[in-house]
Amino acid sequence: MAIKSSQDTAVAAGFLLPFMLLFGVFLIFPIFYSFYLSFFGSPTDYSLTNLEFVGLANYKRIMSDFQFWWSLGVTAFYGVLSIPLGICASLALALLLDNKLFGKSFFRSAFFLPNVLDMLVVGVIWTLIYAPKFGALAQITTWLIGENNFFNTTGLLGSPMTALLAVVVAMVLKGAGFGMVLFLAALQNIPEAVYEAADIDGASEWQKFTKITVPLLRPIIVFMVITGVIGSLNAFTEIYAMTSGGPQVVMGGETVGSTSVAGYYLFKQFDSGNYGYAAAISYMLLIITLGITWLQQKVAARNNGMEAGK
Amino acid sequence: MSANFHPGRILTFVLLLALMISMTYVISGQLFKFGAMTVSAFAVGEGAEGATRAGELMRMMVPLHSGLAIIMTIILTFYVVRRFLKTPIEQRSAFLKRMFLYEALIAGVVVVLFPFFWMLCTSFKPSGQELVISKANPFDIVPSEPTLDNFRRVLKTDAASVAAGALDPIENKKNFGTYFLNSLLVATTAAFLVTLFASMGAYVFSKKQLPYKQQMFMLLLATMMIPGMMFMVPQFFMVCKMGLFGTKWAMFLPHLASVFGIFMLKQFMDTIPDSLLEAAQIDGASEWQVFRVVIVPLAFPIILTLFLLTFLFHWSNFLWQLIVTNFENPLSITLPVGLALFRGQYTSELGLIMSASCFSIVPIAVLFLFAQRYFIEGMTQGAVKE
Repeated sequence: MAIKSSQDTAVAAGFLLPFMLLFGVFLIFPIFYSFYLSFFGSPTDYSLTNLEFVGLANYKRIMSDFQFWWSLGVTAFYGVLSIPLGICASLALALLLDNKLFGKSFFRSAFFLPNVLDMLVVGVIWTLIYAPKFGALAQITTWLIGENNFFNTTGLLGSPMTALLAVVVAMVLKGAGFGMVLFLAALQNIPEAVYEAADIDGASEWQKFTKITVPLLRPIIVFMVITGVIGSLNAFTEIYAMTSGGPQVVMGGETVGSTSVAGYYLFKQFDSGNYGYAAAISYMLLIITLGITWLQQKVAARNNGMEAGK
Repeated sequence: MSANFHPGRILTFVLLLALMISMTYVISGQLFKFGAMTVSAFAVGEGAEGATRAGELMRMMVPLHSGLAIIMTIILTFYVVRRFLKTPIEQRSAFLKRMFLYEALIAGVVVVLFPFFWMLCTSFKPSGQELVISKANPFDIVPSEPTLDNFRRVLKTDAASVAAGALDPIENKKNFGTYFLNSLLVATTAAFLVTLFASMGAYVFSKKQLPYKQQMFMLLLATMMIPGMMFMVPQFFMVCKMGLFGTKWAMFLPHLASVFGIFMLKQFMDTIPDSLLEAAQIDGASEWQVFRVVIVPLAFPIILTLFLLTFLFHWSNFLWQLIVTNFENPLSITLPVGLALFRGQYTSELGLIMSASCFSIVPIAVLFLFAQRYFIEGMTQGAVKE
C-alpha cells in the first residue's frame, strides 16, 4: 500500500504542477519582484536594463507627492459615489422583478447583458452620449430647452464638478444587473411566512422593508461593498475611455485631474517610464487594500459577535 | 355604475394606458424600423448613391414597419383593456399595480440598453450625418438613409482602401477584421489553457491526497485579495525579460493561473461522489482516464462556464494588452487596443467609432444570448457562499 500512496502523490503532483508553476511564476514571484523593483529609479530611455538603484527614494517621493494622495482621494470619492448608487439601483431592480411576472427571465437577461460587454467599448459609447454638440444627450436637451444648455456647451464630462459623477452613472447602469441577480436570489430565499407574521403584527410596507428585507439582504450588501472597494482601487479602463483623468483643476498650486483615480495615476507613471516609482505606488496600493480588508474583517467579526450576543 | 365607480382608478388606468401605448408604439416602431433598415442597408451598394437608394427602399417599407408597430400597439391595447374590464372590481388596484410594474421594468430596460441600440443605429449612419436628428421626432434614432460604408471603411473593403491596399498590403490589413481574429485567437487559447490547468488542479484539490494541500489552497485564496493593478509592473518586466514583448503569448501568459477558476471548479467537484471514481479505478481506468471520463463530463457545465468567463476576461483585457502590444507590428493588435487607437485617429467620426465598437459588442451579445445561464450563474456564483 505504501508504494501505491507514493505513486498517488506523484500523480496528484503531476496534475497540479502546470497550474502551480504558472501560479508561482506569475502571481507569487511578482509580489517580491515588484518590491525589488520599487527600489530602482526610472530609466530615461524606457529601457528595462539601465535601472539605477535609488534605495528608499521612491517611497520618500510618494510621501510628498500631492498628485498621488489626490488620486487616492478621487478613488475614495469614486467608491463613495458608485457603491451606494450601485446598491440602490440593483436593489430597486430586484424589488421590481421579485413579483410573479410574465417574461421575468427576459428582464433578468436584459438587465444583466451590459455586464458582459467590454468596459472600454461601453466607456467609449457613453463618452459619445455625453459629448457636447454631437452627443445624444446634447441633442435631446437642445431639442427640449434650446442650444444654450450645459449638456450642449460643456458636456457632463467637460466639467470637473460632474465628470466623475457621469462616469459613475455609466458604470452603475452597466453593472446594475449583476447586483440585481444577487439580490433577486436572496429575496426569493426569504420565506413568505416572515412577511405574513409581520402583517399580523400590523407592520407597514416600509417597516417590513427596513426591518425584514434589508437585514436579510445584508450579506449581499456587504459583498457588494467589498467588491465595490476593490473595483474602485482597480478602476482604470472606464477612466481611460471616458475622461483620461481630466478635466484638470488647480488645487493648492498643483494641477490635478478631477477624475484621476489611483489606478489611472499608476498607469500614467508606468506609461511615462517611471517603472520603479510605479512599482512603489503598487505597493502602497497593496498595503492600503490589505488595510481595508483587515478593517472589514474586524467590522464583520464585531457585528457577528453582536448578533451572537443577542 | 354606482358604488363601484372609482374615478381615481379610472384616471390612473387611462394614464397608464396612454403611457403603455406611447411606449409600445415608439419601441416596437424603432425595432421594426431597425429590421427594415438592416435589410435595406445590405441590399444596396457603396457610397452616397447607395445611401440614397437605401433611403428609397426605407420609404417603401414605411407602411410595413409602421403598420406592424401600429397593429402591435392596437392588439396590446385591446388585450389590456379587455383584461382590465374582466378583472373583478376588488382586484383592479392590483391589476393597475402590475401594469405600472411592467412599464417601470420596460423603462429600465430602455435606459440600460439604450446606449447599445444607439451604437448600432449610429454605425449605419452616413459619414457627416451622425449629428442629424429628426426635428419632428427625436425618438426616431434609426437612420432613414442607412449605409454599410462605416463597416466597409473599418474593414478596409471600401473602394478607396482597396485602391490604397494595392500599393501597401500591410496598411490594408490594419483593419478590424484582423483585430477581431487576433482577439479571438488570444481569448480562445487562453480560455482553453486556463480551463485545462484549472480543472486538473481543482481535481487534485478536491479528490487527491497531497502533502500541504490545504496550505497551498489557502495561499491561492489569499492572492485573490490582491488588486490586479499591483501585478502590472512586475509582470510587464517579466514578459519583456522572457523576450515575449509584442507576441500573442504575452497577451495572456501572465493571466493563465486563474485562482478564481480553481476555486469555482473545486466547489463543484466536491459534490461528485468518490464512489464514482473508485468504481472507475476498479474497472482498471488510469488516472488520466478517471479525470477524462468521469470528472470532465460530470463537471462539464461548470468547466464550460469557466471557459466562457475566461474568454470574456481576455476579450476585454484592455490594460494588459495595451501595455504589451508592440505598435511597430500593427497586425498583432487586439480589438480593445485597436479601438482605443482608432478613436484617437477619428475623434469626431461617430459612425466609424460605433461600427468599430460593434466588432467587440455584437459577438459577445450573441454569445450571451445563447449561453446566458452559464454567464449569469458563473459570474454571480461565489458571491453568496458561507
